[in-house]
Parts: sequence; C-alpha cells; structure tokens
Amino acid sequence: MKLASAYRKEMTIAFRGFYFYVEIVIALILLAVLLLAVDEYPEGREKEYAFYDASPAVVDAVFAELIEEGTLVPGEPEELTMKPASFEVVDEAAGTSARYSFDDARAVAARTMLEMDRATGRKKKTIYLLDSEDDLLRLSFSSGGVGAVIRPGDDGRLYYRYILQGYETERVSNLLYALHARSLDELGDAMDGQAVRSLGPVDRLNARESAVPLFVTFAGSLMGFFIVMAYLYLDKNEGAIKAIAVTPATVRTYLLSKTLVIMSTVLVSSSIVVIPVMGAKPDYLLFYPFLLATTFAFAALGLFVASFFDSMDDAFGTLYVIMIAFMLPAFSYLIGSFDPVWLRFFPTYPVLQVFKAVMLGKTDVPYALAVLAGFLAGGAAILLAAEARFKKTLTV
Amino acid sequence: MVSVRNLSHSYGNDGRLAVDDVSFDIEKGETFGFLGPSGAGKSTTQGVLTGLLRLQKGEVTVAGYDLRRVRKERFNKIGVSFEQANVYSKLTALENLRFYADLFDAPTRDPHELLELVGLAGRENDRAGSFSKGMKHRLTFARSMLNYPELWFLDEPTTGLDPAIAAVIKGVIKAEQAKGTTTFLTTHNMYIADELCDRVAFIVDGSIKLVDTPRNLKQRYGKKLVEVEYLRDDGSIAKETLRTVDEGDRERLAGIVRSRDIVTMHSKEATLEEIFIQITGRGLD
Repeated sequence: MKLASAYRKEMTIAFRGFYFYVEIVIALILLAVLLLAVDEYPEGREKEYAFYDASPAVVDAVFAELIEEGTLVPGEPEELTMKPASFEVVDEAAGTSARYSFDDARAVAARTMLEMDRATGRKKKTIYLLDSEDDLLRLSFSSGGVGAVIRPGDDGRLYYRYILQGYETERVSNLLYALHARSLDELGDAMDGQAVRSLGPVDRLNARESAVPLFVTFAGSLMGFFIVMAYLYLDKNEGAIKAIAVTPATVRTYLLSKTLVIMSTVLVSSSIVVIPVMGAKPDYLLFYPFLLATTFAFAALGLFVASFFDSMDDAFGTLYVIMIAFMLPAFSYLIGSFDPVWLRFFPTYPVLQVFKAVMLGKTDVPYALAVLAGFLAGGAAILLAAEARFKKTLTV
Repeated sequence: MVSVRNLSHSYGNDGRLAVDDVSFDIEKGETFGFLGPSGAGKSTTQGVLTGLLRLQKGEVTVAGYDLRRVRKERFNKIGVSFEQANVYSKLTALENLRFYADLFDAPTRDPHELLELVGLAGRENDRAGSFSKGMKHRLTFARSMLNYPELWFLDEPTTGLDPAIAAVIKGVIKAEQAKGTTTFLTTHNMYIADELCDRVAFIVDGSIKLVDTPRNLKQRYGKKLVEVEYLRDDGSIAKETLRTVDEGDRERLAGIVRSRDIVTMHSKEATLEEIFIQITGRGLD
C-alpha cells in the first residue's frame, strides 16, 4: 500500500518533471534518426589499394573469375591524386624497413572493382587497381587505407603482401596471416573441426538495428543510474525526505519507489525505439525482463553512490567517471577487433552482448538468464547497502 | 509523553557537542516550549526526538517508545511541522496531503478539512510550487496534523507568516491543546512561547539553563515597571521608565503625576525575552 502510494506519487512527479521527458525526447529523436537518416544496409566507404605484380593477362583472368563468382563487380575508373610524401615502410616478416620519399604531385587513373555483400547486394568496399607498388604505397599512406601487393607464385597460388598503417591490432594482422597462410579449403576444414559454443548470434544486425542495443544499454538501463540520483537530490533539495522520515514508511519503500519509477520510464523510452525499429524480430519475453533487471541494478547503484554525497554538484565527478567507465564496452561493440579481456569485467559489457543477441531473437537463453539473475541479485545487494547507508544519512 | 535523560549529540568527531547532557520531561497534554537562539541545540534535540537524528548518548522515550529500539510505528502517534516548508512542489496541496496520509497505519484526517483549517481552501488543486512561502509553510503545518498526532512537534510554527495567518495558526494550536494534544514547540519567538506554552526550557550552547512556567519566571525574574511620557516646560515630551519596587522611583512617579501633564503612562511586565537575556546573558537572534 505504502509502496503503491509512493510509486504513484513518484510517477506523478516524473510526469510533471523534466527528466522523464528528456528520456522520452531522446528516444523519439533517436527513433527519427534511425528511421529517417540511417540506411539499413549502407554502402561501404572503405577503400583498398591493390597492385597485382603480374602480367595484365593474369590480372584480367583473376578478376574475371572473381566477377563471375559474384564477389566483385567492375566499377568506373577513378582519378586519384598523389601529393609529395615521405614515409617509412616496415616489413614485419623480414624485420627490415625502407624509407620512401616522393617530391612530385600527380594524378593516376585507376581501375576500380567493387566488392559486394552477397546478402544485401550493397557495396562493401572499393578496390583500386594500381599500376605500380610505389603508387600503392603513396595512396595507402595518404588515405590511411589498406594496400595489398598480390603476386602469383610459381605454384599457381596467389601470394599477398599487405600494407597496413601500423595502428591495427594484432588480431587484424593475425587474421590476414591466417587467411592467406593456407588455402581456404584447408581453413574451412580446420574451422569445421573446432568445437565452438556461440554466445552471441551468428547473424548480424543491420546498420539501423545495431544502434538499438547501444540505446537500450546506455540511454535505457544506464540512464537510470543518473536519473535516479537526480530524482533523489530533487527530494533532498525540497526537504521532502525529512517529511517521509517522520512517517511509518521505511527507507526501503522510499528507495524501491524510486527504482520502480526509473524502471517504468526506461520501459517506455526503450519501447519507443525497439518496437518500431526491430518489429517482431527480438525475443521480447527475454528483452523486457532483462531490461527491467539491468535498470533495477543500475538504479540501485545510483542510489548507493548518491548516499555518499549531499548534492548533485558534489556527486557529479564520481557520477561522470562511472558513466564514462560503463560506456567503454561500447568501443568493443562498435569496433569488433577491439575486445580486451579487462573490458569484459564492466557490467555494461554482458548487457550489450545480451541485448544484441536478444534483438536478433537468437539468444543463448541460459547465458542471458544467468546474466539477468546476476543483475537482479547484484541490484538487490546494492539496494540493501544503499538502504543501510541512507538510514544514517538520508535526513541529515 | 516525552522523557529525556542525559541526552548528548555531536555532529563530528571533534568532541564538540551540539547538545550536552540535556534532561527534561513532558507530561501528556502539556505544551512544552524549547527556547533559544540559533545554534543553541533546539533543532538537534528535536531531530533526535523525531528520529531524524540517531540517538548517540542518553535515554529518550517518545510517545511510549524507547528510541534505542527503532520502531517506525511510533510515527503513527507523532506529527512534525518543520521550520522550513518541505512539500513536493510538483504535487498539488491535496496530492501532497493524500500521499502522506497513505503512509500512516492509523486513521487520518480529511485533507480538505485540514486545508480549510489553515486557510488554503480553494487552493487544493494548485501545485505547491506555485504557493508563496507562507502558504507552503501552512501546508507543511497542515500535513503535521494528518494522523491526529498525540505528540506534536512544531518548529517555529509562525515564523515568516503575516500576523493574520499567524493568528490563525495560533488558534489551531490552541484548539489542539484543548483536545489534549501534547506539543513540543521549538521557537526563538518568546511572545509565541509566552502565549502558548505551559512550560518553557531555555537552551543555550547545547545546555538547558532553566525549565519553568512563563508565569513563575516572570514572578521570579521580572520587575514591575511603569513607562511614563509627560510634557516639559518647553513643550517637548520626556519619557522615563520607573521601577515600582523602588521607593525613589515611586516618589519620582508620584511627583510627575502631580506636577506634569501626562501624555502616556503604561505599566510594563518583563518579557520572557528580557528574562532569557537576564538568565543566559545572551540574546535570541
């Protein structure tokens, strides 16, 4: 009864306040951007430079085969401009380096091939076919694109030498080594022999859909961490907490009503984005419980952190650091090659992964339920800790 | 109704006590005034009695509940009106009272009746955020009466109110007194204390200096005075304050009455404030 009354009061205040509408407006803006400005299957802008160290007849034969396979389609020739440049190229395999310096500025006409996505039929990247290795090095250096020198061997196989920028992760280099170290047939056999348990989905979200797990994690669950603190400090400023403290209502009732109102808000704001963008694709029976459990845990954490400070001004530094730290897993989500082990200890990491899987409707249910249970248990423990602290500090 | 024994409270670890070894009792139906200047320890004492501050040292019983054992149900018998208005500004006056009424496990008063009592009838559905400071104060005051409190804590109940509204609030307090409500009144306004309290305690620097009825204090410490204004020979007005217990002053007063044209003449009792200053050596502001 008391909790219901406190929840009703909190919802009334939320409807008449600022933060509720901030969440809703952010959700509506994101929805509009996703539906109106984000292409589901955008054309790739990636550029790759290639130099085939072989006779034109061999090159034509190679490309004819790839075009026939449907992997590549011929593009329009493009004029590329090269400026004077000076750089060093390190040969990792040989352990040597060479310095290059070009003083001239000139333009070259390059044939282009477009690598296509077979599933969507959209362009993935543009491959520029150059006439010399020097041109490849200069263009790769000036544009930051990947370059590849390809040479047919005496054994009839193609040998690749990649020009990278130096900042790529070891994972990228290893992938390229693995891709060309053996024939694709051998690789396929080796991969078939591996026992792999897929925690994440094999299918991929399209460009529009892939923004949704980020939104529900950061503008949904994690936003509760911030907004619950804002609500609490509003009450403190008005002194209303003292008035509640001299009634039979408990601190737990008060804190639970706060978390419930945050969960309700996040439920609405997340639905605004998820339902129109994802349609019937997600596993909603798992999505909503998971959304509520994670929001509950982050809201409880917000209350616990708030118990150490008197005002939003005092808490802001800590709040900022925690929010930024919790957003770090977004890098791993957006940049597939960046996935260090330490990042997996941040609570938002599994949240993002589960939301991603749930959006595809192909979740590893036991894993997702284990994460959900962890957040519920962790949230409950944090809420109890917050309650213990607030019993001492809430009315001071 | 309230028993306080050797209560001490400190806000820090520096050993400085905001309340230092305070003891007093309040009988059922009594209105007990806790008087002192800002920082004297009034709010700290009330904070401990209302449970807003944790009992650190001493023995305190409030409405039959020992404060060493935390029991939320005791608040069903207690009403607290805060000095600073603390209502939800985004809720209407009625919503504020209804929400707090739901938090009690005891019968509660009709919010409409309470709003009418404090002069807020007709403003039930206005948000408290649109209220003046005085109106918010009255809403806070009304809220403290929601649960028919047996023990009523009032912190500066008329401070900041215009005289007409202050008179209304005093009237409400007197009506509750007549019903037998025990009241703990914290104030630095000696006129309010004099008018409403059965007994008063003077508190300074965390210690109670004296507890007695206003009447006894005036009898014990007050001096009867007469303030007289009369015309001088040049037509200007002279003013003198003379003590009726002093033989010389009495003769001087008789002489003025005989030989001068009197403009005004008033007998004057010592106020509680004057007695407070006399006893504690401190003012009330």
